[in-house]
Amino acid sequence: MERLLRGYVWALYGFVYLPVGVVVLFSFNDSDMIAFPLSGFTFKWYADVLSDGRLLGGLGTTFLVAFPVAAITTILGGLSALALTRYRSKFRALLGLVVILPFFVPRMILAVSEVTFLHEISFTKSLLTVCIGQSLVILPFTTIIIASVLYRLDPALEEAASDLGANSWKRFRYVQLPLMKFGLMAACFIAFVLSTAEYTVSFFTSGREQPLSILVASDFRFHLSPTLYALASLIVLFNIVVVVVSELLRRRGAAHA
Amino acid sequence: MAAQENRRLEFAVLASPAVLYVAVFCLAPLGLLLLYSFYRVDFVAIVPDLNLDNYARVLGSETYLKLIGKAMWHGLLVAFFTMVLAYPLSFFIAMRVKVLKAALLTALLIPLYTGDLVRIFAWRVVLGAEGILNAFLMWTGVTDEPIMALLFNTGASLLVLTYNYLPFMVLAIWIALEILDRQLLEAAADLGAGRYKTFRHVVFPLTLPGVLVGGLMVFALVVGDYLTPQLIGGSSGVTVISAIHDLFGSAFDWPLGGAIAWVLMAILVVFVALVATMTLKSRLGRALFRMN
Repeated sequence: MERLLRGYVWALYGFVYLPVGVVVLFSFNDSDMIAFPLSGFTFKWYADVLSDGRLLGGLGTTFLVAFPVAAITTILGGLSALALTRYRSKFRALLGLVVILPFFVPRMILAVSEVTFLHEISFTKSLLTVCIGQSLVILPFTTIIIASVLYRLDPALEEAASDLGANSWKRFRYVQLPLMKFGLMAACFIAFVLSTAEYTVSFFTSGREQPLSILVASDFRFHLSPTLYALASLIVLFNIVVVVVSELLRRRGAAHA
Repeated sequence: MAAQENRRLEFAVLASPAVLYVAVFCLAPLGLLLLYSFYRVDFVAIVPDLNLDNYARVLGSETYLKLIGKAMWHGLLVAFFTMVLAYPLSFFIAMRVKVLKAALLTALLIPLYTGDLVRIFAWRVVLGAEGILNAFLMWTGVTDEPIMALLFNTGASLLVLTYNYLPFMVLAIWIALEILDRQLLEAAADLGAGRYKTFRHVVFPLTLPGVLVGGLMVFALVVGDYLTPQLIGGSSGVTVISAIHDLFGSAFDWPLGGAIAWVLMAILVVFVALVATMTLKSRLGRALFRMN
């Protein structure tokens, strides 16, 4: 029974990583076509990606959006996570519901209501509207990540600070902020990654300048090429690094308890 | 008393930025969409005279009702598939590993955060007519011609949806298992219950809230998924979500699109309310809203 469970777990991880693994494998394959046996090793698809002005431009736009989105969602998420975990208020469940709400509304419905909203107030679509839309769908994630760190912190530390005469600002500045620092950093990284991957809301709220995810989606709707395999591999590599680093930070934050 | 007043003020100050943000950029737009759903379209203009025609059109149209039903059905199916696949894995992570726990969880978070675009792309590469699976089958001589039926059908779409949303289910069940009181397991063993009986009568009922929360997340995500049916489902990829997309794009009928969206939202609200009432009083609910 135990061996069966263990075997199942590894099989499931195989299922999770196999599709991405084969894409990485074929991104190094020296052939336009997918066929076995493999034709030989090459970096040329990566060179193609890195010399493609259109993709690089999209990447620049993606970063231009991801930095403010990460900042906005980390600050908003950090404040609401503090309210959710540190206060005994009858409005706490309501606050939790409001912050989680954007997660449960289908992205397409959020996207079209943003379009309606922008139309109503005659606001021109731009990267600013992309930032606003993305921050909305990413806020539930950052709030939960930061709250997961705050849940484990010992409230006695804050009580001690208050007993020693610290006012609420000093308590926040010298006790809570240092303790939640790693949680904030983890949330910021994850928000960055989620922003780079977001498609539906970005598609509807973007104007002339379009982030990479939209360019890639329209590319692979029509044809699959090894250049796209190389691009996908780079994105996955980037994500692995960011997610692993942010998890290490989050755990370090929680271990401070 | 003054200290309590202070705490109340602090809570309000901390909570208000996020609440304001969601109110202005989520609730207001959704409300506006609701208002638009009572408008009508005259050629290329949206005319604000309130009527219920759009709702009559949605509820009187076999096509839209079928699409909504299909979305619900697929949501439930995928929620069930992910539960069956996820439970043993969550159990293993919660009960059988210590050192590897962080690594196994992080390994699940990577695909979750990578976004659906790359994951869907990978499946296209695997399942396509010129894809890896076909290349492999032809190389090994299992088949001489590529099997077209691997991609662009409902089955492929459900497979990829299950793949996409599995991590949410694993995490939800894992949390429920982590906060399970281990003394109950010992008590069950002391009273002579075997593994199966303990699981059936103690572990599973107590982790049911986790399953329900995970199921709700997967259900909502599948109902709202746009890219997977579009890029994997082929001609079967018409969904209620893609219908809304079309009405806001080429078909230009925002009021009708708004009406469909709000019918779907109403159904989702019922599901969320059901699961919330079933789980809030449980150990998981109390842990999530734990008082400090």
